[in-house]
Amino acid sequence: MPDSRLLLQDAPNKRALLLGNEAIARGILEAGISVVTTYPGTPASEIADSISEIAAEAGVYMEYSINEMVAVEVAAATANCGVRSLSAMKHVGLNVAADALMTLAYMGVKGGCVIVTADDPECYSSQNEQDNRFYALLANLPCLEPSNAQEAKDMTVSAVEISEKLELPVLLRTTTRVSHTRGPVTYGKLTKPSLKGEFVRDIKRMNLVPANSRPMHTVLLTKAEKAKEISETSPYNTIVRRSKSGKLGVISASAAFNYAMEAIDALDLDASILKLGMTHPLPEKLIGTFLRKHKKIVVVEELEPYLEMQIKAIAKDYAPNVKIYGKMGTLYFPRDGELSTRAVVIGLAKITRRKLPIDLKEIDRKYAEVLKDLPRRPPILCAGCPHRATFYVIRKATDGKAVYPNDIGCYALGFAPPLSIGDGFLCMGSSVSMAQGISKVTGRDTIGIIGDSTFFHAAIPGLINAVYNNHKITLAVLDNQATAMTGHQPHPGTGVTGMGVPTEKVLIEKVAEGCGVKFVRVVDPFKVKEATAVLKEALQHSGPSVVVFRSPCALMVVRDRRRKGAKIMVCKITEECTNCMACIKLLGCPALVLVDGKASINETLCIGCGLCASVCPYQAIKCEEIG
Amino acid sequence: MKGFNIVLTGVGGQGILLAAEILGTAALKEGLNVRVSEIHGMAQRGGAVVSNVRIGENVLAPTFLDGKADILLGFEPLETLRSLNFASEKTIIIMSDERITPTELTAKKMEYPSLKEITNKICSFTKNIIIVEAAKLAKEAGNILTENVVLIGALAATKKIPVKDESILEALKELVPTKHLGTNIKAFKLGYEYAQKYKLKH
Ligand code: SF4
Ligand code: SF4
Repeated sequence: MPDSRLLLQDAPNKRALLLGNEAIARGILEAGISVVTTYPGTPASEIADSISEIAAEAGVYMEYSINEMVAVEVAAATANCGVRSLSAMKHVGLNVAADALMTLAYMGVKGGCVIVTADDPECYSSQNEQDNRFYALLANLPCLEPSNAQEAKDMTVSAVEISEKLELPVLLRTTTRVSHTRGPVTYGKLTKPSLKGEFVRDIKRMNLVPANSRPMHTVLLTKAEKAKEISETSPYNTIVRRSKSGKLGVISASAAFNYAMEAIDALDLDASILKLGMTHPLPEKLIGTFLRKHKKIVVVEELEPYLEMQIKAIAKDYAPNVKIYGKMGTLYFPRDGELSTRAVVIGLAKITRRKLPIDLKEIDRKYAEVLKDLPRRPPILCAGCPHRATFYVIRKATDGKAVYPNDIGCYALGFAPPLSIGDGFLCMGSSVSMAQGISKVTGRDTIGIIGDSTFFHAAIPGLINAVYNNHKITLAVLDNQATAMTGHQPHPGTGVTGMGVPTEKVLIEKVAEGCGVKFVRVVDPFKVKEATAVLKEALQHSGPSVVVFRSPCALMVVRDRRRKGAKIMVCKITEECTNCMACIKLLGCPALVLVDGKASINETLCIGCGLCASVCPYQAIKCEEIG
Repeated sequence: MKGFNIVLTGVGGQGILLAAEILGTAALKEGLNVRVSEIHGMAQRGGAVVSNVRIGENVLAPTFLDGKADILLGFEPLETLRSLNFASEKTIIIMSDERITPTELTAKKMEYPSLKEITNKICSFTKNIIIVEAAKLAKEAGNILTENVVLIGALAATKKIPVKDESILEALKELVPTKHLGTNIKAFKLGYEYAQKYKLKH
């Protein structure tokens, strides 16, 4: 999608090739959802990013909230004024918002409210693979699970409708392969959003002190019963194929459904297929009847045996003798990692005792040959990334002897050699708080590493804790002026909103001072000497100290220069080079490579940040403007 | 598992996702069903990137089974090797000769393997290889960033993909900023002419 404005086309029946996330954005416009909140996170980011570009024109209000809990709270509040809202986040983001969500289920909503959770099987860009369908179970909330882009759009609209009907927020759960797969989407009609809401005081429902919570729990359970009826007749829960013999039945949902369909065809199986699109609450009768009609049931789902557990419970009442295969007991399908057609083919072949349709062993054997000695290519900091300079400074100032609890963002990649700065992270904001525990019990110099966006998201209470309890830690805030990892979204420190409107710039250094930190400095990480001296001083400080390393993300710098048609810097290694390899050994910049045994710079990758020039002991690297 | 399967592979920042989107959009323009899988985030920071483009009525899954690629579009030689599990002797491999050294190699003071070593490994899977001087042609077109479109041009020249050249050009028009359209069309043509000279084994 080059231009999100195409999403605005009032052209019912038009077919467009959309990313699952863009399809949800289109769904937002078709549903007349008027408030969209988010904290960016892969694989959810493009939902709100698409809206951000067109929000004003569409009459939608959108915001990058400072964290997911705030995002859900804003969406919940507007929905409680009768305005349709949606809040999008990645799976671990819902953990941050969980406190609000669990009680929002009691409070309910007036206007439709959709909470999108984008799960990440295989951890393509996450710290875990949690299966957020369990949040639906835990909170008693309806959950829809699209399997492709078309459904992603349609279900966004349905989710709002169900939400309004039940006066309950509805979860829309996607996975990476749904969010980040393009497929054809047929447009429906646009609905004009309306930002005009009305707040009606309703203390019994909204003031959840214990006396009110107890009856609201009962109300929630009644609503959950009604949700069951909706699920029973939902067009998203349907039998898409009936077997001739009635022996084998397959039940599946979301991305897994696609693999299941193709695997069944690849093995040429005669199977009935029940596809579930509303996966909480489950359509008990529909499933029960399906179970009764078959001898063997295979449940194909990604990650946890969420469906299988519940289906087994249903079987007890409906068809106690039916055999159910999945991943409880014997593991026919993997319970970790991403599902694939391959994994489903192998599992189904085992269950049905069929031969594999393709000689996977032979492919694996040949492939293993190829992989032997093949260097890996993990993600790394970009050429010219300011974080590399910061890590170099941190290493220089501490000689690698401090402890460096890290956080979530590009800079999490700093743990890799040769910089090797970063000793682990737990979740957003954990660097600040973990640093305190570590410094307390080890007495070592401790430098917490955190990005600018993450600072606003989750570091402030931790920082106040450090001040209050006088923990001797240093917090290095790596301020590259964007939420870079997820696509350069703005945040409170950038001075612009999600709607593109200039706004008050919240300065990290002022926040730190406001929290009571006595030692606060701002440095440019590319001024290596100066920055190193400041960091050393910070480490000497008796209480908590904060050093803000400020320099924009390299990708933004290059993009801006290209846009303006401005010159681009590149650096070159001159004849003075003694091949001491200091640049290569110290920095790990991908533009610094070995050619014919000599250090050299790949011109296409280098952006001329000059860091290697300042590291070279022989001043053999010279930078100049080209283009 | 019918349908036409393309795997695009390379390094983050090479324009792989845009190339995949161009192919997918072209297919949609012809009324075909299509799936284009992408991976975002971490994978784009100079890491390995793989995208699957699948065209065909029964295509549902975002990715496909090992050995089932009709075309492997390799943006980088080492990454082409890494995606060989998708290849069989029927697969056509179109590979750019543009090498991007993984930092792991540099750190171990090792140099990038020769193209010959790489093609030898590929030959254990398929002998249908077209090696395109994509970086050179992209520069010739006027912008090093058009390597992805050079490769698409080469792909179109094989006449294997069930999509017409015109649809690809139309998709280009839709997805590339007008300012850069000229260089991109030139890149497409250069890639096209380059690959036309190749004789495929199948
Ligand atoms: S100047 Fe040096 S460190 Fe900076 S991007 Fe270029 S090669 Fe890398
Ligand atoms: S995206 Fe920006 S912040 Fe992230 S690694 Fe690249 S240059 Fe650094």
